[in-house]
Amino acid sequence: MTESAMIETLPGARPSTTRLSTIASLAILIAIGLACFLGPWLSPHAYDRVYRDYVLTGPSLVAHPSPEELDMSLSALTQRLHIESAYAIEGDTLHLTLKSPAPVDPRVARYFDHSDLFGTAKIIGHGAGDHSLHLDLPIRQIYFLFGTDANGRDLLTRTLIAGRISLAVGILASLVALFVGVAWGATAGYLGGSVDAIMMRVVEVVYALPFIFLVIVLVVVFGRNFVLIFVAIGAVEWLDMARIVRGQTLSIKRRDYVAAAEALGATTPAILWRHILPNAAGPIVAYLTVLVPRVILLESFVSFLGLGVQEPLTSWGILIADGARNIQASIHLLVFPAVFLGLTLAALNQLGENWRDRLGVGGA
Amino acid sequence: MLRLVLARTAAAIPTLFAIVTLAFFVMRLAPGGPFDSERGLDPEIMKNVQHAYGLDLPLYKQYGLYLWHLLHGDLGPSLHWRDFSVNDIFKVALPISMQIGAEALAFALLVGVPLGMAAAIRPHGIVLWLARIVTLCGIAVPAFIVAPLLQVGFGLNLRWLPVAGWDDGDWRHQILPVFTLALPQIAVILRLTQAAMRDTLSAPFIRTLRAFGLPSSHIYLHAFRGACLPVLSYLGPAAAGLLTGTVVVETIFSIPGLGRYFVDGALGRDYTIVMGTVVTVAVFIIVFNLLVDLAYGLVDPRVRHD
Repeated sequence: MTESAMIETLPGARPSTTRLSTIASLAILIAIGLACFLGPWLSPHAYDRVYRDYVLTGPSLVAHPSPEELDMSLSALTQRLHIESAYAIEGDTLHLTLKSPAPVDPRVARYFDHSDLFGTAKIIGHGAGDHSLHLDLPIRQIYFLFGTDANGRDLLTRTLIAGRISLAVGILASLVALFVGVAWGATAGYLGGSVDAIMMRVVEVVYALPFIFLVIVLVVVFGRNFVLIFVAIGAVEWLDMARIVRGQTLSIKRRDYVAAAEALGATTPAILWRHILPNAAGPIVAYLTVLVPRVILLESFVSFLGLGVQEPLTSWGILIADGARNIQASIHLLVFPAVFLGLTLAALNQLGENWRDRLGVGGA
Repeated sequence: MLRLVLARTAAAIPTLFAIVTLAFFVMRLAPGGPFDSERGLDPEIMKNVQHAYGLDLPLYKQYGLYLWHLLHGDLGPSLHWRDFSVNDIFKVALPISMQIGAEALAFALLVGVPLGMAAAIRPHGIVLWLARIVTLCGIAVPAFIVAPLLQVGFGLNLRWLPVAGWDDGDWRHQILPVFTLALPQIAVILRLTQAAMRDTLSAPFIRTLRAFGLPSSHIYLHAFRGACLPVLSYLGPAAAGLLTGTVVVETIFSIPGLGRYFVDGALGRDYTIVMGTVVTVAVFIIVFNLLVDLAYGLVDPRVRHD
């Protein structure tokens, strides 16, 4: 071993970076979690609100509409009305004059009300013989920090809503796996004998099942329902948990305090709950840190294939699939959800790794 | 060794039986059938079609028939690809998936093992950073993000490689899918090698070798043998991971492999294709795990099976 390698492995040299990465990962996770949880309520846009005039807008910190957008949208509108127009901008209002050889019906103002760019139009006055109409249009300032998608929906709000779904599926599916796996593994390990043999045999059978194939079949069978997606994912991810818990239980149940509890006449569930599970908590949490990112990845993967939650609800996988379809015209559709997903996965992994290091539990 | 093979084969039979049963009944629970379309078939025709495929029989009879055919290696006719049996389709699709998978695994090993060892031997400088970046990418950037970016970068903008398609396995069509498939595996293999190498290098026998004054290249060779054990035992899960990956990669790059037939089949209720894929993949995983266990015995005398 080289000198520097020795120094690197000395105790005391590593904790500082480990601690730093733990804090950073936690900060990222809390930030993303809070943003996804609170963000959609704070956002001025509803996640399913369609802005027809802002389709595939790029991300920007500047308020919309820009002068070009105003001009384009106005000319599109007046072209549809077969009407000539002239306008001047003054602060937040736009003075518009519509001219036509035929008399101008004041009801055209409605068209401008329906646009996403303007508030309610105010009719200022008519020109001679009703051949022209003066309108005052308040310009609506809108921010699309992440841009909009192909349907004109705010990507920031959608990314946050998607995060809610992805994180919720990740946590709930992991909980399903946790409960099933712990119950199964602890029972098998504690009872032992033929019960153990049969229960572990079942685990082995399910183990040989191709996971992703099973999830796809389950999702296809039971429909694209939020609850069933996480139950389906949880149903295939409990196996490792069961194995780990069984192994722990096998070693813990030989301890004296378990024998003592048995001698005192404690019931089996009580022993499992009071003595075995608390002592197996370390490895269980260690595996949970592997499980959560894996489940989030699996969910986004299923969503990417078009089997996730249904529109207008969304998840990171669906958004990424959307982005992949529109990648040439507007790469922001791919980048933002991908960054959120990537940061979450990376932070969860780092956190898990540090936790396992601390516990001295190896394995990836 | 023969005993291990026999025992595993014997154990695989009930496993496979359970898988086939589970897949059969779960698939049949799904609403909708393989011949549903928007316009709907004439009831008379529907009856004939269902009769032709034996779908009008009671479920237990269908199940029995399926098992009977399966015993003879017949996966049945495809319900969507008219005049093709599932065997016909798999004869073409399976080698494609296996080829991509094997190439990706080889690539992942060729990159991951040396890089992991280098990062363990010299845990500082460029090598360590490279290892960290590769690991992070493999963990945080899933295949379905990497693939579109590669398609745009190398396919559309640079025009070096085709965006998608297979073209009978032309090598240019293989580069992007194989790379995409290998990336997450590289990350895991790298991390495993790095950790194992680090542990092995601090083992007493390495210190002894150093004390004897062996050149460091020899020492690393000895350490390598110990360090490759975790990688070897990871190959089983890796194969499963690659199979999972092929579903996405084949869909994105439109490669006519097993994964794509499976997704299409599951969506179109092509019962036989879905069942066939599940059975094939399960057999594949079982055989592969057996091979890995045998190889493990060759490398590690402590677990030799005889």
